[in-house]
Amino acid sequence: MKFTFGKLMLGIAVVLTTLGLLRYKPWKKNSGVTARDVIHEGVNKKATRELTVGYLPVTCHLTCPVTDFASKTTQTNTNFNSRVFSDFPTVVSALEAKQVQATFMIVPLAMKLREQGVPVKICYLGHRDGSEVIVGKNSRIRSLKDLKGKKMAIPSLYSNQNFVIHKMMDDFGMQPNDIEFIILPPPDMPTSLAAGAIDAYFVGEPFCAKAELDGYGKVLYYARDIWPNFISCALVVHEDLIKQNPDVVQDLVRGIAASGAWAETHRVEAAKLVSPYFRQDEKVLNYVLTSDPKRVSYVQLTPTDEDLQQIEYQGIKLKLLSKKIPMYELIDRKFVPNEIIPAPIDEASIPNILPAGKK
Amino acid sequence: MSDKKTVSLALSNVSHSYGTTSVLQTLNLQVKNGEVVVLVGPSGCGKTTILNLLSGHLQPSTGRVQRTGNIRTVYQHDGLFPWLTVEENIAMGLRSVSDTAQREKEKQDLVELIHLRGFENHYPHQLSGGMRQRVELARALAGQSDILLMDEPFSALDYQTRLRMRLELVRILEQRPRTVVFVTHDIEEAAQLADRVLVLSSRPATVCRELEILTPRPRDLTGSTVIETMKTILMELGLQH
Amino acid sequence: MINSKHTSSSQKKLQILLPVLVLAGVILLWIIITYTNLFPAYALPTPGAVLKSFKEEFESGRLMNDIIASLWRVAVGFVLSATLGIPAGLWLGQHLYARQACVPMLNFFRFLSPLAWIPFAILWFHIGDKPAVFLIFMATFFPLALATMSAVATIPSIYFKVAKDYNYKGIELLTKVTFPSILPQIITALRVSYGIAWVVIVAAEMVGCQDGLGYGIWDARNGLRLDSAVCYMIVIGVLGMGIDRLLAQLTKLPNVRWGYER
Ligand SMILES: Nc1ncnc2c1ncn2[C@@H]1O[C@H](COP(=O)(O)OP(=O)(O)OP(=O)(O)O)[C@@H](O)[C@H]1O
Ligand SMILES: [Mg+2]
Repeated sequence: MKFTFGKLMLGIAVVLTTLGLLRYKPWKKNSGVTARDVIHEGVNKKATRELTVGYLPVTCHLTCPVTDFASKTTQTNTNFNSRVFSDFPTVVSALEAKQVQATFMIVPLAMKLREQGVPVKICYLGHRDGSEVIVGKNSRIRSLKDLKGKKMAIPSLYSNQNFVIHKMMDDFGMQPNDIEFIILPPPDMPTSLAAGAIDAYFVGEPFCAKAELDGYGKVLYYARDIWPNFISCALVVHEDLIKQNPDVVQDLVRGIAASGAWAETHRVEAAKLVSPYFRQDEKVLNYVLTSDPKRVSYVQLTPTDEDLQQIEYQGIKLKLLSKKIPMYELIDRKFVPNEIIPAPIDEASIPNILPAGKK
Repeated sequence: MSDKKTVSLALSNVSHSYGTTSVLQTLNLQVKNGEVVVLVGPSGCGKTTILNLLSGHLQPSTGRVQRTGNIRTVYQHDGLFPWLTVEENIAMGLRSVSDTAQREKEKQDLVELIHLRGFENHYPHQLSGGMRQRVELARALAGQSDILLMDEPFSALDYQTRLRMRLELVRILEQRPRTVVFVTHDIEEAAQLADRVLVLSSRPATVCRELEILTPRPRDLTGSTVIETMKTILMELGLQH
Repeated sequence: MINSKHTSSSQKKLQILLPVLVLAGVILLWIIITYTNLFPAYALPTPGAVLKSFKEEFESGRLMNDIIASLWRVAVGFVLSATLGIPAGLWLGQHLYARQACVPMLNFFRFLSPLAWIPFAILWFHIGDKPAVFLIFMATFFPLALATMSAVATIPSIYFKVAKDYNYKGIELLTKVTFPSILPQIITALRVSYGIAWVVIVAAEMVGCQDGLGYGIWDARNGLRLDSAVCYMIVIGVLGMGIDRLLAQLTKLPNVRWGYER
């Protein structure tokens, strides 16, 4: 065979078209995510509009996939698609590019975005509590004071965990550099603890439960013991969407609230429902949701000024936030329904296996 | 094929220097149509430089180069394009022939001429040194070439092959006469091939002896003409008294 | 004759047998380590679990989708950088002053890890295929351009003399002389930079993507599923090796063989 320029070009063209076709599957209809006026194929034939909502696979964002599921199996006007992300910087980028216009996000990060001029509003909360300080199972650490000079992992400087732990150190009369803080991706925390690389970590579920279940970690503090009604994440919506499509946002907040109310009372089913969305072991999620009601709660999720002011104050004190944003700019409570009815999800409709090709 | 055309090749008062190294000084050289001129001289005296000036790869510092006719060079080695087969390399010389059938025939003739039938689709790296030189020769002879410049074309070969290649060249030139300027270190070669031998002095090169050999080719290696010529050249180079 | 044939065929057998043996040895070692609990289960998944997750990922269609996504990004980024990098290298190789002017800059960018571009990739191209394609481009353009350039700069001058004798000029000179004479080196450069691209795609997909093999690892990690991460690692390694073998076939083409046999 001769190696001619023409043949080379032909080969490249063939490879590229084949891959391109496989990638974009133009023969498959309904692949456009942006298509408006979608009437999806689910049980609910009434949905005439669609919205994609971002989330990370943490229990704090659990109501997002639940709402996705509910919008396809019950009567709603809007079809919600949950879109999973793996880290917050990507979420921010997607939000700035308006690839998603509503997403779950850690609260201080939303404040930072607002500060930087990205017009986002907090419309609802993810859940309450749901974070713990975990230490090694056989460690002799009994209180925060024992962590002096030790290493503690936190997920991000802009995480509420960071804010809260600093407030607690204040309360204990400790200096900010008494504990060596390390930023770690949450999935690495349990293994780092097991390997002895860190002495403690403070993060959201299910990364705390994992250490407990695998038998090398135990809870030192529940978030609610440190900061009652602890908030980690919130539902953040781009102002453009609020202006252009208030009805959709209305549907969204109602749906999320209803999902929260359902999850609060259907914890086993909720674990089963979200495990394929999170691609996590149902056992772990089940443990988080059912082992101790102190771990997480999905009620009382309307953001209050006091809640957020407290967080903002702490952020400014730590010099992570630079200016005080008025609460009316940050919070939009007008979509929260007066009466929250649990989503009428039929338990029998929850599939036993992973929904194929879920994206 | 190009007999009608008058071929002329001449250097008049040519000097050349690379930077401060003066290589040629007011050199005059006239090559007649159909003549085989052989240049011999010590290493580094400027023989390759002369060929480069003749072919136009170099411009002389001063003086004039005059050439009409199509010039091709046969290099010492590695002048073939290694990414082309024997056939394709030869076809390079036939690029100006527009008629495909004629080109094909000419190519076959040339392969036949250099006795490489069966090797048309081999690549240069799959050939022996002698075969490669023959392909170079065929390529240079193909199509409308008038003048052959040959820069030690056989020097990389072993003695026996060299003897054979010399006979081949004589045979081929008989069939396809060309004007040839041939550079060599090999005095035997000069004596067997040349119509005229130019013995060059060391750098800066000047022609210190010109020998005309009238005996027709092919010449017997042990014949009196060759022996006599060799003697003269050796004396001129200061290698025999 | 018979004897020599015999040795060559048994040599060939050995050539296949030895790597298989080493592979089997590594897997055996893995099994032993996991079953003797030398490492705790959370630190090293068992081969059984990996096999199971492989089946799971394959059946859900995710694995295929991820493979295609990664291949597509590498292919587009790679073709882009080749179509720009090789001509750029050709041009630079032929122009001394341009070369002197640009080489320090090119070298600067070559030594800048493509992963350093991640923040900008996401800022400029947001999320999806584009940032990954951009990173692949950044990773492969500079080595390709530089390799082509130095290959052109070292083409033996005799080829150009011959080309002049036979009247090759302009575009013909480029495609019939310059390009084929550096083709062996270009193929080597392509193989090397494909290797870089494949390593980079995995890292690039860990941010700003929603599918792909690198994302698969990241996602598995988020889901605390090391078994599925190992399954993706195996797929990445096998695919990378396979494609390199394919590219290696290019060196077997007859009109570039000369470049590897001297
Ligand atoms: N490109 C160049 N730059 C500088 N000097 C050169 C160059 N080419 C040749 N020279 C010089 O010119 C002189 C003549 O070189 P040339 O190659 O013409 O010699 P030659 O007679 O062909 O020698 P040989 O028989 O060894 O091939 C050499 O001494 C060399 O120093
Ligand atoms: Mg020479």
